[in-house]
Amino acid sequence: MILMNFISDFSIPGVILIIVLVAYIKGIPVFDAFIEGAGEGAKTALNILPTMVGIIAAVSVLNASGLIDILTDLISKPFELIGIPPETLPVLLIRPFSGSASLGMFSEQIRIYGADTYIGRVLSTIMGSSETVIYTLAVYFGATSAKDTRHAVAASLISSYMGMFAAIYICKVL
Amino acid sequence: MLNTIWIVMILAGVITGILTGRMGEVSDAVLESCVNSVNLVIAMLGSMCLWSGMMKVAQKGGLVNNLAKLLKGIFRFLFPGIPKDHSANGAIAMSISADLLGLGNAATPLGIMAMKELSDVNKNSTVASNAMVMFGVVNAACIQLIPSTVLIIRQQAGSTEPSSVIPCIWVASLISLVSGIAAAKLLEKFNFSKG
Repeated sequence: MILMNFISDFSIPGVILIIVLVAYIKGIPVFDAFIEGAGEGAKTALNILPTMVGIIAAVSVLNASGLIDILTDLISKPFELIGIPPETLPVLLIRPFSGSASLGMFSEQIRIYGADTYIGRVLSTIMGSSETVIYTLAVYFGATSAKDTRHAVAASLISSYMGMFAAIYICKVL
Repeated sequence: MLNTIWIVMILAGVITGILTGRMGEVSDAVLESCVNSVNLVIAMLGSMCLWSGMMKVAQKGGLVNNLAKLLKGIFRFLFPGIPKDHSANGAIAMSISADLLGLGNAATPLGIMAMKELSDVNKNSTVASNAMVMFGVVNAACIQLIPSTVLIIRQQAGSTEPSSVIPCIWVASLISLVSGIAAAKLLEKFNFSKG
């Protein structure tokens, strides 16, 4: 437990320190480089605002109308039997297909269930350890001449769901 | 695809709202959601700036190249058939380090670049090479050192210790990565081609 706290406390400052120190020793104008990259980051973040507004609005309609509760009640029993908390289902199902939709869902769910609860931690782990597989593959392969992606989708989905199911058990232990 | 999902979500939500008699709540929720999404993006704006900036520093400081050298052995196993000095190696390393920093959307251009280099090695065939599929899988497994977006959202949701999930995320990512690599190596032996 102490080791875990140490790792989570030190990971961010540690990474920053190493990056900046190495570049400084190499004689790079570190702050100029930082500003250049930060500008690109700001653009990326602003670009996703319209998508976020659209998705979060739709998710909030689903939540407020009670549909998400009804649906999760319906399918929760079989999933509970194999140890999957029903509260995680919406994010679990949409995650591989849409990044902004799952992000919107995640931020709504975590507000409702609380960030430091077991459910909140599972949702965070799912979001942090998985990618929008289908979108990523479409974009990456779309940029090349390869039209036949062979086993890419199958292998990526296996990878994604192994990580997400693992998250449910890891959060119990760690 | 999002076009369909979006209209279905709104339609289903509004109809359920009518049936459950919760239209008042639905209407409040829509207005509130705009404020929430702006708050969220503002919160993410800062962390995107920070980590994209750090990425640029790491790139210029040569850390990314060092990572490429460090991972050389692993690269040879994962992406066989790439000539030793081909620029695909550097592109893959850049893309993986952007993933490590959890840059998400900002990492996409780097990933596309690497995929194009791999396609080049594959003589731009219409059938993806094993290396291309593996790169897609490794990218999709998304090993994040600092899951910055998740941390920001946790903080916004009132977490007292947002970074406490980092070890869980590392372990889950590792499991996802290992099973992805295993699945790709195994499935490449079977004929998945469409034609």
